[in-house]
This record gives sequence, C-alpha cells and structure tokens, in this order.
Amino acid sequence: MIRPLFTLGGLAIAAVLLALAWGSVNVPAFDLWQVIQGEGSALNRTLILDLRLPRTLAAFATGGLLAVAGALMQVLLRNPLADPYILGLSGGAAVGALLAMLAGMGTLLISGSAFAGAMLAILLVFGLAHGTGSWTPSRLLLTGVVVAAGWGAVITLMLAITPSYKLPGMLYWLMGDVSYARTPWPALVVLVVSIVLIMPLARNLNVLARGPMQAAALGVSVRPLEWTVYLFAGLLTATAVTTAGSIGFVGLIVPHMLRLVLGNDQRIILPASALAGGTLLVLADTLARTVVAPEQLPVGVITALLGVPMFLYLLHRSR
Amino acid sequence: MSSHRLKFRIALGLLILIVVQSLSAGEIQRCAVDDAGQELCVAAPAQRIVTLSPGATELMFAAGAGDQVVAVVAYSDYPPAALKLPSVGNHTRIDMEALLALKPDLVITWVTGNLPAQIELLHELGLSTFAIEPRTFEGVSGVIERLAILAGTEQEGFVEAERFRVGIATLLERYRNAEPISVFYQVWEQPLMTINNEHLIGKVLQLCGGVNVFGDMPRLIPRISAEVVLQADPHVILTASVDGASDDQLDRWKSYSTLRAVARNNLFFVPASPISRPTPRLLEATRLVCETLDIARERV
Repeated sequence: MIRPLFTLGGLAIAAVLLALAWGSVNVPAFDLWQVIQGEGSALNRTLILDLRLPRTLAAFATGGLLAVAGALMQVLLRNPLADPYILGLSGGAAVGALLAMLAGMGTLLISGSAFAGAMLAILLVFGLAHGTGSWTPSRLLLTGVVVAAGWGAVITLMLAITPSYKLPGMLYWLMGDVSYARTPWPALVVLVVSIVLIMPLARNLNVLARGPMQAAALGVSVRPLEWTVYLFAGLLTATAVTTAGSIGFVGLIVPHMLRLVLGNDQRIILPASALAGGTLLVLADTLARTVVAPEQLPVGVITALLGVPMFLYLLHRSR
Repeated sequence: MSSHRLKFRIALGLLILIVVQSLSAGEIQRCAVDDAGQELCVAAPAQRIVTLSPGATELMFAAGAGDQVVAVVAYSDYPPAALKLPSVGNHTRIDMEALLALKPDLVITWVTGNLPAQIELLHELGLSTFAIEPRTFEGVSGVIERLAILAGTEQEGFVEAERFRVGIATLLERYRNAEPISVFYQVWEQPLMTINNEHLIGKVLQLCGGVNVFGDMPRLIPRISAEVVLQADPHVILTASVDGASDDQLDRWKSYSTLRAVARNNLFFVPASPISRPTPRLLEATRLVCETLDIARERV
C-alpha cells in the first residue's frame, strides 16, 4: 500500500529538481548544486531561489490541491465527472479577482478578493442546496452547476465592460497562471494540513462511496461526513484558485488516472492525488515556460496536452 | 531661431546636471520623473536597457541610446536595428528569467500596457524601472529628453526631441485655420472601437482640424455600435492598416450609401505603427492625416 506512494514521491522530487534545472536560461547541474548548497553566482541564486523555486513549489501545491479536491468531489457526489470547479467555486473566485483587477488593486488584494469570492460561492451553493428535507448529491450538483453558470455570466459581463488594456491580465488569470503566485507557502501549508486532517476520514470515505444508505447502515454518520468533505474540498479549491487562477483538467483527470492504476481505496488515492497532481502541474509549468521561450504559454494548455494522451493510454491499458 | 532654442535647451540640461553635480559630492545624479509620477535617479548613464513595449524601443533609439538597449519585446520592429535585438516575450507576458539573465540596469515599462503583477515582480527583484506613456505631443518630446538623460545621450536625444517639437509646431501653424471636418477613427472592426479626444490619435485629429465625432466620450477607447456611427454621419472614416494599404476593415460601411463618408468616397487608411505609437514617427503620421483630411475637404 505504501509502495506506490514512495514511487510517486520519488517522481515528485524528480519533477521539482527538473523544474529547478530547466528554464529559458540554462543553469548547468553543477551550478544548481552550488546554489542548493548556498553558494553560486548572484544571478543563478536569483534565478533559482527567487524565480524558479517559489514558482515550482506553488505549481506543486496548486496541482496537489486541485487533484485532492477533485478526488473528494468525485467521492462526495458519487459522480466521475465531478471536478473541483463543478460547484461554481472557480466562478466565484474569478468574479472576486476580476472585480479587484477592475478596481486596479494590487496582487495581494486580488488574491484576497478571489478567496473571498470562492468562500461566498461555497456558502451560496451550500445554503441554496440545503433546503428542507434531504440534501442529496444530485441536488447539490444541480444547484452548483446553475450557480456556476450564473458566475460565468457575471464574468462575461465584466470582460465586456472592462477597458481594453485590462483585458490581457484578466484573461491570463482566467486561463490559469502559476507565475501569479508570489509565495507558495500558504498553498503548501493548506495542502499538507488538509491531507493530515483528512486521512483519518479516508476509511469512512471508502464506505461512503458505496452509497449513503449502506454507509449509514455500517455506522458512518453520513451528513457530518459529507459536510466536512464538502468544506474541505471547497477550501482546497479556493486556495488553489487564489494561488494560480483557474487551472483546469488536473482536478478531474488525476484521480481517475490513479484509480486506473491503484484501485479505489481513498487511503491511497488521496495522498497519491496530492503527489501526482503536484508532479503533473510542475512538469506542465516547466514546459509552459520553456518550450517556446521567450514566449510564455498558459499552463492549462500544457496540462491538457500532457494529460489527455496519458489518460487515454491508461484507460486503454486497463481494459 | 529653432537652433537657438535647441542650444538653449541643451545648455539648460547640462547646466542642471552641473548644478546637481556640485550639490552631490562628485557623482552626477541623473534624475527624471516617469509617467507614473515616480522619480528615478541613476548614478551613471544606463548601459543595459530593456524596453518592455515596441514604442519604448523606438523612443530609446530616438533618444540616441539604441546601442545601450540589450533586449526588447515582440513587435519591436522599428528601427530595423531593433529587429536584431533579443526578445524577452511580449508586453503582457515577460520571460523573467531571460530578462534577469541580461543583467539590465534600467527597464522601460508601459504604464497601462504591462501587467501590474509583472511590474511588481520586477521591483521585488530589485530592478530599476521607468514607466512611460505619453498622452500628448509635448509628452512625446518630453519622454525622449528624459530617456536621453537617463541614458546619457543628451546630445542626440535633445536634438531629436526638438526636431519633433518644431515639426509639430509647424503643422499646428499650418492647419490652425483649417476648416473643421467631422471624422470617425475606427480602431478595430469587431468589436467596433474608436478613440476619444484624450487619446494621442484624438490629438492628431484635432491638430489637423478634424472633429472626432466620439471625442467627448468618457472612455479613452470606447466600444460603440454601428448605429451611433450612422447617427453621427461623419464626413471622413479613417482607420489604420499595415503600411497604410487598403484592406477590408472599412468594407462594412460601404453598404450604407447614405453615409456622407461613403457617398464622397472619404474612406482612408493610414499606416498603423506610426500613428499608434507615441514616437517621433507620429510627426510623419500627423502630416499624413492632415493631408488626408485636406483631400477629404476637397471632396465634400
């Protein structure tokens, strides 16, 4: 059970080292080693420690957050098409961020506004779906999809009325851009703490995946568990979107890729998602900033280009 | 008289430098205020300059500091020497690593064109930035002079700024009493965009005696509908294209035969880069627009 996690951990470390070594400026391995040891030229130190390291760690944290949130959503809603954004979280965060950009605020306030928007979206869907009587996943799903469409309309309106020179910044945020992340620590801390807190619940999540009736019959308190998972997934997604905008694909596909290889035990899938999601996004971001340098591509494009063939291969192999 | 004014300006500039030098022990402090209101002082002329907009590239060369530019961004196509310089991305997506690796001592940024998040990162990495965005003719000549001060090329820079100033003054004099003629300047076809009188292109139209039918709109670059253009019924419709060649951007108006501009065949194209960038080429662009409006006046 532990071995796949070790493999994934090794891959993650390799990906991070690759990301530190690659860039539009060639830093030979020896110079990289010098910088890690604390020496090295000022330029290399700035490149590695001030540019590449925060960006790589932010990419890892964001990928991990999205993948875990996706896995949780897929268990909660018992729907393989669920992704972290299905309940309108990214829409709420986007409206918050775009409003802050429209008002000309600085990066910190934009991030704060995005987080507030995401929290508002969570509460909105939660409140609307609650209603009287049963609170079923399908009710939650429907409410979420409709609210997401509402946020989408607000985003389109804002894009239509914003002055032309502010549009590129807004579009890049919507496409997802890891270079926005000033510091990776909030995202990393949230990822690590969430994994630690959710692991004890993983066993119950396995039971919940069979259905609420069966879970209740087996002694799982279904409602509190569902609420907890929902809030966790929301917090993870909000942190991810606040850090790097709405990067698609990772949250939907990474848990499925892992299930094809490792089975559906949440005790493995959740930490594996964190590692695999992080690795995928680190690799995608490295490619996005080097493949046509000095032009910089949006990372969401690369995650799809990498992930689609990988997923299809795994799907094919699992037959 | 103009060369006297020019010599006066150079002398004044050098005098200011000498005065400042005598105040600060030993080093000449070259200071200039950028278009975002920030003052930048450099101890020595900037030798490794990176320009983050095509306009800034042209202005740097105009200031006589082309040899001191080490990198540009995409579309920095004028003067031809700029095509040989390495690029660090485009004005909205800068490759920070490539920029840092060039070890610049001055980065010329664009107030509204570069993304604020990337400018913040430049500051965090300790780079000196100078933001420019001229909005008037005097702004263009002023920015050339300020860039020349920072780059230590006052000789060429002040001459070029004066040439521009004199050229504009000449055109202003020539077209001061030109008969007003209503103009619609089409920035983009879909969505339909134009400019107001605050925009540099709006000022070009005003100088030539053109009355921008959307000059009083509150936004700098408003997005409008075809209906309001039909309602305004301008005498001239003007747009920009590559090298000023006729293309299909104005074809949609040809189907409205009641438009005065269409009836009199007053649909014109001007070269895009000279009129869109706040650089010395704006002088030639203004001259061309004025001559175009004269042709239009004949046809009305």
